[in-house]
Amino acid sequence: MEDKKDGSKANIVMVTDGASIPDPREWRLINAWSIALLGAICTLCALCVIWPEPYLRILLYLPDGVLITFKITLMAICCAVPLGLITGLGRISRNRFINLLASTYVEVIRGIPLLVQIFYIYYALSRFVQVSGITSAVVAISFCYGAYMGEVFRAGISAIDKGQTEAARSLGFNRYQTMRLVILPQAMRTILPPVGNECIAMLKDTSLVSIMAVPDIMQRARSFVGTTYLYFETYTMVALLYLIITLLLSKAVSIMESRLNYYDAK
Amino acid sequence: MLRYLLSAVLSLTLLSDQALAAEKYVVASDCTWPPMELLNDEKQPVGFDIDFIRAVAKAAGFEVDVRNIAWDGIFGGVATGQYDIVASATTITEERKKQFDFSDPYYEVAQAVVLPAGKSISGLQDLKGLKVGGQIGTTGIFVMRKSGVDVDLKEYDDVGLSIQDMMNGRLDAVICDDPVALYYVNKKKDTAGKITIALVTQEKEYYGFTVKKGRKDLVEKLNMGIKKVRASGEEAQLLEKWMGKK
Repeated sequence: MEDKKDGSKANIVMVTDGASIPDPREWRLINAWSIALLGAICTLCALCVIWPEPYLRILLYLPDGVLITFKITLMAICCAVPLGLITGLGRISRNRFINLLASTYVEVIRGIPLLVQIFYIYYALSRFVQVSGITSAVVAISFCYGAYMGEVFRAGISAIDKGQTEAARSLGFNRYQTMRLVILPQAMRTILPPVGNECIAMLKDTSLVSIMAVPDIMQRARSFVGTTYLYFETYTMVALLYLIITLLLSKAVSIMESRLNYYDAK
Repeated sequence: MLRYLLSAVLSLTLLSDQALAAEKYVVASDCTWPPMELLNDEKQPVGFDIDFIRAVAKAAGFEVDVRNIAWDGIFGGVATGQYDIVASATTITEERKKQFDFSDPYYEVAQAVVLPAGKSISGLQDLKGLKVGGQIGTTGIFVMRKSGVDVDLKEYDDVGLSIQDMMNGRLDAVICDDPVALYYVNKKKDTAGKITIALVTQEKEYYGFTVKKGRKDLVEKLNMGIKKVRASGEEAQLLEKWMGKK
């Protein structure tokens, strides 16, 4: 968190994963985001109009997969964001035990690839507990992204000036009140965009769950390819579909970011 | 000048060397389909298909290099020419014939429905409302779909994972080729005795070697090889080795 002098770059949490969020201050009509979105939509429409067979058939085969993908993503977001918040708070906790617990969780989960975690929860742990494919997908993705988001929350909270804590404490707030009423509301402004970004990355990573026979977009496509052998056509449609979804979501995050930065922008 | 001459001579000899040696074809096989193809302890592909294609190659006078390729993209690879032959227990179907060329049929199978031991069904319609698993893009899945029986069809990356899931109680049934079902029911240590073949379909399917559309030369070689292997009695030996048939 450098560049404190002009204040503008003070509260930027860097992330390396996920889609690049369009800059909310970008006002020009032609930019990377609009070119990508228009290009994707035009290609998709053109393919479906010019060659309805097989492109339109592929597109009509996928919608139930899109629903499953959204369902898993939404459920995973509902679990991963609270988990991330708890982890983030644990990471800055002064209690040695809690701090160690949260740090170990982050360390362990970040060191294991998501695909391995999914296999582990579905096939290895099935010896002890039996859960459905969708539940294991949600558990695996939430645990994985909970750890990544924990780091985002920790960075966001530590980016708030120490003076805020000192002022709140000297006004008689206890530590819990300081965090809940003073620090977190301010930190949310910096935390939400990267968290939104992680959620988009999560949506993309749900394509891994097709190995558990969960019929998401990717599995639907593979099963279509399995009967028609149209590899090029099917995977082109899948790529375009994912691209359009993530581009729209990244714009939504961008709009949210500009709303949150309303006071900073002035 | 001398250098050019030398390189020209060198390349000529190299080329003629290649022409003299037997042609070598790359063979793709998805080694998750025992006993047709599986990986042994040394991670080398073995199985009936592997031995059979090697015997065919020897009889027809070419060499093969067998590679383990995931089922999911195995047809895509042969269409783009990454390998020449797919020897991976592929059933000759009308849909596949439109996209690929096949050798003569070399083995007859049917679809088997595998259930946990002690359970039974009298027909595919008894599976209605149950969770049925199989390997993605295999004929077991196609047969289940075409039957029109309303089941919750789960498509796994390989048949072993679906058997595993049935053992864990998350699936009610698995559908696959009957030699594979027999292997899991009788041979494989951790599943033998715990599962049973409840039904074998009446309709037969035939395995064929798959090549890129238009490779008539390769199809002819393969057919010639299959005929020779059959005539020499080598096929019977292989069947006995892998299937226990005489």
